[in-house]
Parts: sequence; C-alpha cells; structure tokens
Amino acid sequence: MTYTGSSRPSQHESGPTDRGGGPVPPVPAPPIAGGPVPEGPPGSLFGPDSQFHRFFNDPRWALAMLRATVLEAAHPQIGAALIDNSVFVAHPWRRLRNTLMSLQRMSGADEHAREREAARLNRMHARMTGTDTQNRPYDAMDPQARAWVIATLFESSVTMCRLSGQPLDQRTMERLYAEFQAFLTTLGDQGAQLPPTLKEFWQYYDRMVEEELENTEALRIILYKLFDHLPAPPLLGGLPTVWATGRAVAGPVIGTITVASLPGPFRRRAGLPEVPGARTLMQSAYMTAGLARFLPDNWLRTEDLTRLLYLSPDGEDPQSAALAALRDRVRRAGALFRLVTPFPVQHGSAEKTEPQRSAEDFFTEVLDQTGDGYLDWPDLAAMARELASCLDLDEPEETKLYRAFAEWWRELQSALDLDGDGRISGAEYAAAVPSLAGPALIRVAEVLFSVTDTDGNQFIDADEYRALFRTGFRRTVDGADAGYSRSAFVNDFLSFMSGRRRSTAYDPLLSGA
Amino acid sequence: MIDVIEAARTSGVQWLSLYAFSTENWRRPSQEVDFLMQLVRRVVRKHAPLLHARGIRCRFLGASDPRIPGPLARDFADLTTLTEANRGMTLTVAFDHGGRGDIVEAARSLIRAGVPADDVDEQCFAAHLPVPDTPDVDLVIRTSGEQRISNFMLWQVAYAEWIFPSVLWPDFRAPHFLECLHTYQQRSRRFGGVTPHANGEPHP
Repeated sequence: MTYTGSSRPSQHESGPTDRGGGPVPPVPAPPIAGGPVPEGPPGSLFGPDSQFHRFFNDPRWALAMLRATVLEAAHPQIGAALIDNSVFVAHPWRRLRNTLMSLQRMSGADEHAREREAARLNRMHARMTGTDTQNRPYDAMDPQARAWVIATLFESSVTMCRLSGQPLDQRTMERLYAEFQAFLTTLGDQGAQLPPTLKEFWQYYDRMVEEELENTEALRIILYKLFDHLPAPPLLGGLPTVWATGRAVAGPVIGTITVASLPGPFRRRAGLPEVPGARTLMQSAYMTAGLARFLPDNWLRTEDLTRLLYLSPDGEDPQSAALAALRDRVRRAGALFRLVTPFPVQHGSAEKTEPQRSAEDFFTEVLDQTGDGYLDWPDLAAMARELASCLDLDEPEETKLYRAFAEWWRELQSALDLDGDGRISGAEYAAAVPSLAGPALIRVAEVLFSVTDTDGNQFIDADEYRALFRTGFRRTVDGADAGYSRSAFVNDFLSFMSGRRRSTAYDPLLSGA
Repeated sequence: MIDVIEAARTSGVQWLSLYAFSTENWRRPSQEVDFLMQLVRRVVRKHAPLLHARGIRCRFLGASDPRIPGPLARDFADLTTLTEANRGMTLTVAFDHGGRGDIVEAARSLIRAGVPADDVDEQCFAAHLPVPDTPDVDLVIRTSGEQRISNFMLWQVAYAEWIFPSVLWPDFRAPHFLECLHTYQQRSRRFGGVTPHANGEPHP
C-alpha cells in the first residue's frame, strides 16, 4: 500500500478564509480533548477519541487518500497550484511524511499545537499564488479551494467505508462531518465554507463533481505519471531493481483502482477509461484493506509504516535504533545483491565517482524540487519550506529564511537565466555552475546559522549542532563535540549548495525522495 | 591474497592494510592500468561474500580518483557497506593511496575546521587524516625484495618495524606471512626510549 498516499498534495494543508459567503456552520469552538468519552456526540472533535483518529491507522486510508488527492487535483485551482508548487512528483515520500505529520498535529488533542500548525500551513499556502497554463489565477488560500480539499477528505473517508462493505451509520457520519468542519475552522480565523448540514454537503459535492472538476494536468500526472516514475522510498533505495519490478506491476493496478473509485459522472466527463473488471478489482482491494482491521493493533500503524518508508533512523524516538538497524540491513542486502550479480560486460566507461557529482545530477537531485526540469522560484520555495518545517521555525525566523531564499533566486535569475524566460534550465545551470555561490547564497547560510545558534554566541556548540541535525536533517552526526564555527558552517553549506560536494547532512534532506 | 588475509585473521591480527595501487601508479601504461582495474574488480567481487562471512570489516583508503572506473567504485562502496558492521579484523585496502596526499588532506581539513595553529598537536592532526581510527602501524612487510616506503601511510608508519622478504607479491602466501610475524616477535621495540616494550603492547 505504500505507493499510494505518496501523492498527497495540499489536503488539510489548506484551510478557509471567510470569503465568498456561505453560512457559518454551527461548529463548536475546537474544544480541548476532555475526558475519555467513548462515543456519541458530546466527545471531543479532536484527539484520540475522534472518529477521524480512528481512521488514521486504517490501511484503507491509503487508497482513500490517493482518491481524495485525485479529486483535489481535478479542481482547476488546486491542480494548478500543485503543478507549480508541489514537490510530490520528485519527492513523493518526503511529501507523504510531511503531510501525515501535519495531519497528526492538526487532529491531535493539543490545542496549542493545532493552532501553531494551522498558522504554519496558512503561512505556507499564502506563498503559493500564480497563474495556470491558461492564465487563470490561482491562490492556495482561496476559501472555496480550501473547502474542497477538506470536502474530498471527508467524502473519501465515507466512500472508503462504503466501498469496503462497512458503511458508516448516519450518526457516525454526522460526527465525522462535524470533525472535518472543526478542522477547517481551526485553519481559518473565521467561518468555513463547508455547508452547515450533511444533506447540503452532498448537494454541494455533487454540484462540484458535475460542474467544477476538470481533467487537469495534475490529475493526469497523479494517475499515470507518478507511479511510472515513483522513486524508491529511502529504505529500499539500495534495491533499485526490486523496486522497479514491483512498481511496474503495482502502478497500473493502483491507477485503475483509483479511477474506478471516482464518481461516475466525473469519470465520464473527464474521459477516464473504463477498464473491464476494474470495479470488482477496486472493491476487492477496499475489502481486503478493510479486513486488515482484524490484525493485531500495532501491526498496521500508518505512522510506523511511513516512518519505516521514509525512515528517519537517527531521530530521538526509541524505535529509531531498530529502524536504523533495519535500514542498514536493507542497504547491506542491496550491496551484497549487486556484488554477487554476475560480472557485467566491462565497458570501460569512466562514470563519475561518489564524492563529486555532475552538475546535471545536482540539478535534478537537489535544485529541481518540483521535478519539471526547470529551476524556478517554487523549487527554492520548496527548499525553504522544507528547512523551515524541519527546523520548526516560527515567525520572524521563517520569513527571514524565505527572504534569503528569494534574494538568492533573484541572484540566480540574473546570473543564469540566459534566454530570459524567467526560469533556469538544466543546460543554463550546467553552463554557469561556478557563479552559484554568490553573496545571496552566503546570506542563506548565515540565516540558517543564526536560527541554529540559539544562544547567539556566534558558534554552534555541540548541543545546537546536534539539535540542527536531529530536527533539521534527521540524523545524528559524529564529531559533534567539536562544534561548528560560523565560517565552517557557511563553507560546508556553500560547497553543498553549489553542487561541489556531496554532504551527508544535506543530501538526505533535500535530495531524498 | 585471500590466503594472507586468512592467515592474518587466524593469528589474531586486528588491523591489516594492503597496498594495492598507489597514486603514482596512474603513470603506468594505460593498458596495464586497465588490466589492473579489471583484476581488482574481479577479486573484490569474488571474495566479497567470504570476507563478509569471516566478519572482516573492509574499507578503502584513497579510492576517490575520478579515473577509477564507475563500476569498480560502486563495488568498493558496496563492499564497504556490506561489511561496515563487522567487528572482526579491519582490512584497509589502500587503493590510489598516497601518504603525502593523506597528510595534505589532513592539513586542509584542519584549516577548514578553523583550528587555531597553537591547538594543533600530533593527536589532533591524526584525527584529521582519512580513516582516523587506524592505529599506528606495527609492522610493514615490503615484498619483492624492494626496500622503499613508496609513499605508503607515511604518518602511521612512524615507529613501524620493517621486513623485506625477497619473495614476489604474487607468490607471497600464508607461510611467508607467518614467518614475518615470527621475525617481528623477535624484535625489541623501544619507540626511541630505553625501556623495552613487549611487542604488540600499546605504546604511549
């Protein structure tokens, strides 16, 4: 099931503002998780008692989330925002992990954590605006679009239960709806855009499907391109052959399952193929996934699976040691596998060796975060986003970091964009690698240094250094006792960002799938 | 070669380094170099499972030159990965290694780390060498009757004992190795001082 959730785009990362009218739903102010209320309406809408939380570890969610993503991508505004800004094509696993972490924070019992996450999501989405290929403007903060994201999540949860033969009863459904409404309320400071009652919701949903959704480029990418090129999750990175084989079989199957689960009217209008037997296949997939609920509790936990896949082996949690050991075993298995495969015909080609990487590799692995073959502002914004969220930055540090990246972008653009199309191609980049480390990039490094140097003594001491790599780069580093001076830090960062050297610290962060 | 590695392991040697190819060897005719690379690759792949099974940790010193063919570099990396958790003998294969180069590399690393000049002592310097956990070398065996250092681990051999058997490297087998070990045991190592230390005992 691993491949599925991968594509999650802007989901709950969206939220409402109060434009466009729509009645304010009668959602209670997000309550703090109270005592354990077993079931029934008075329980908390957040935290471990919520209906939503019950779904969280359900393996069917993987299918449902993918389906919701496709429905989101079919919304012209969201689709355009996804294509321009999201890193899900090039870095689906990282995207998946970030999304799940965000979901967890947003649905957790801690009110403060929820508000903080909501503020972070809002800041992030406020930075995503632009125009699509037909010059229609899009805005990730658009209230209608954000409501649609939550709507697809809710609807896909309901549909997932229906398709797997365990439909929700009316009361549970109402409750789940209230939770999603509360979710949307947390995101915005004002009322949300979702209809007040469940009955009106279905009318709204049907109208959206009939009138608003389109066969967007983002939708086609998710359905057909993502699985063909889905990079191996870091855990299986050492076994590319095994991964490619599995993917070649699983990709089309998952695509077919997802298409078959989409609403009929939309399938017809978007011209999506009807494959004989697809419906049966889809239903059995949902049924099978549904049966997994009879497995022992801790066998299937979404977080564990994602963590296993994305693997942050050197983190702080107690399982990390076991995960790291597993990752090492897989790596060793991969190494042994390659060593014992028969000697291939020697073609004296002198490939580049490890420590140095070619400009093209650096371009695709690190710089081109959105995977469209060009370096553009959204690529750098994605990097800033990743760093800011990993380092858990608040204002004003986050803005400082973004500003530094924006400054770097202007510098790059004026230095490298030779044909003046506003973006930088791989060729333009390769032609001008040396000029990458200009003053603006140094500024980025300095901002990073300052946010890490929490006690402001102009020296990242052992603790700060460890904290930077633990939280920011998810790994423990050796030699942390030495500390890190400002100039050494800046030097290392520059040599990584200008593609001169591989770096154990930054590679997993920015080039990891 | 595997013969010698096995003999060293069974007689309790913890650290074994082999000098396979020096930086200067690139100057040899390209056909010879190509042949050597092929040979090394075949040897690495052939013995990888065995080395791993014996609990030997393998790693490569040097091996960063872009002239090393990609597939060979891949094999080096794979063998290192495969055996990195082993805690038996550590086998360091010096490939494309040069002792002076290592020292220069350490100096660069010190400067990069911004260590003040007065803080640099021998210990600190050694920590910046490539594969810094390698202890000082106790015994160097130079085969083929040659009596040169040939730029081999210059820093680490400061107090090493030297033995120069006349047998050529391809003919050098386990019995030769044991003979060298025996000779080494007869030597008295003083490390410049007067008090004789027992051989193999850690020295200050």
